[in-house]
Amino acid sequence: MTRADESNFVFTEATKSKLEQVAKVILVGSGKGGVGKSTVASGLALSLSRKGKRTALLDIDIHGASVPDYLEVAPPVKSSEKGLEPKVKNGLLVMSLGLFTGSLPVPIRGADKQELITQLFALTDWGKLDYLVVDLPPSMGDELLSAFSLFSGKATLILVTTPSPSAVNVVSRLRQLAETEKVPVQGIVINMAYLLAGKRKTFPFGRPDHRILEAKFRSRIIAEVPLEPSVSSRGLNTVLKESNDFSRTFRKLAEYISCKVV
Amino acid sequence: MFLYDGEVRRHANLHELSVAQSIVDTVLSEVEKNEAKRVTEISLDVGQLMQLDRNALAFALRLLMTGPVLKGARVRVNVRKASFSCRKCGRAWGMAEAQKQLAEVPDTLRVREPDSKELPLHFLPSLYPAFIRCPRCGSSDISSKEGEEIQFRRLVIE
Repeated sequence: MTRADESNFVFTEATKSKLEQVAKVILVGSGKGGVGKSTVASGLALSLSRKGKRTALLDIDIHGASVPDYLEVAPPVKSSEKGLEPKVKNGLLVMSLGLFTGSLPVPIRGADKQELITQLFALTDWGKLDYLVVDLPPSMGDELLSAFSLFSGKATLILVTTPSPSAVNVVSRLRQLAETEKVPVQGIVINMAYLLAGKRKTFPFGRPDHRILEAKFRSRIIAEVPLEPSVSSRGLNTVLKESNDFSRTFRKLAEYISCKVV
Repeated sequence: MFLYDGEVRRHANLHELSVAQSIVDTVLSEVEKNEAKRVTEISLDVGQLMQLDRNALAFALRLLMTGPVLKGARVRVNVRKASFSCRKCGRAWGMAEAQKQLAEVPDTLRVREPDSKELPLHFLPSLYPAFIRCPRCGSSDISSKEGEEIQFRRLVIE
């Protein structure tokens, strides 16, 4: 018999075998830009790794990869006989398209995005993982749908919002999309929930009303991350190592995830 | 003919080896699905944008094709030439023109293999719009008609 195949089967086969090595995939998304998805994804991944979980962070924000900046990792990437080597930050494996394009713009459309995300996941040497945390890009287009499809059956979604009503409205649309695509929602993280001035909390984006938010998202609030202005000057990894509200929140979030997502 | 317009390689490079392993895995899975006994021909179309070394890929395949199911099967690796077109001005061009731009990809972005530095497109061909622009108008809003793919042209099993 003969057979002709129109797909890029190399990536399909490699994807299957890589997925078998991953216990759980945690998608971190909001549908909206500027709410701090990358901060939450990076903070959670670093905290899970600190707990001794074999964790990797995959940044699939094709047009605006920011994980390399947050985690202070840079090109070039190395390749071995096992595939592309992720960068390592405090035991956390990190892979991002930004590690291949640096500061270049990446004007990619439609189907190429799905190919690209599959290629990057399939060719990276992740090894065996307890958690693969995926930093989703803004919007609900190709990248998000590609991730839903690629990690189907293994993924759970964390919704990131700020208390601002405009953010909440957009994120609630992602909640609906997750439902139609049958991606379970693990919970809501309210980012920039408050600012600490001494011991006093202020609420620059409004005080989050848990009851209203949980009803709107039909899901639990699992963390409220404070605004921590020193992250931009001193780096996420440094701030997470210190004892402060910000690092305690991420430690608790990692604890919650490692209990609930197994 | 080489897919890659650079130095001729004398051995199977790492990426070609891992691509070859995936091909072998796929072929074996087809054999199992169809309850076949042996493979007599594997003919592949490989897109030029992947910048795979055709000889290195064929060499790697032969290295991995041991055992009664695969041994002796004819291997063919065909090059599918890359072609681009500009969505803005309509200009069409091929790999020869694109190579000039690819030569300018900064060293820091090239992926390190033990004995070479490879373009990111070697691994992630769909990233081409980040590195190639229209030679006429300079736009990055370009598309590729073909050249990114790797697929069976013909797989014969008995």
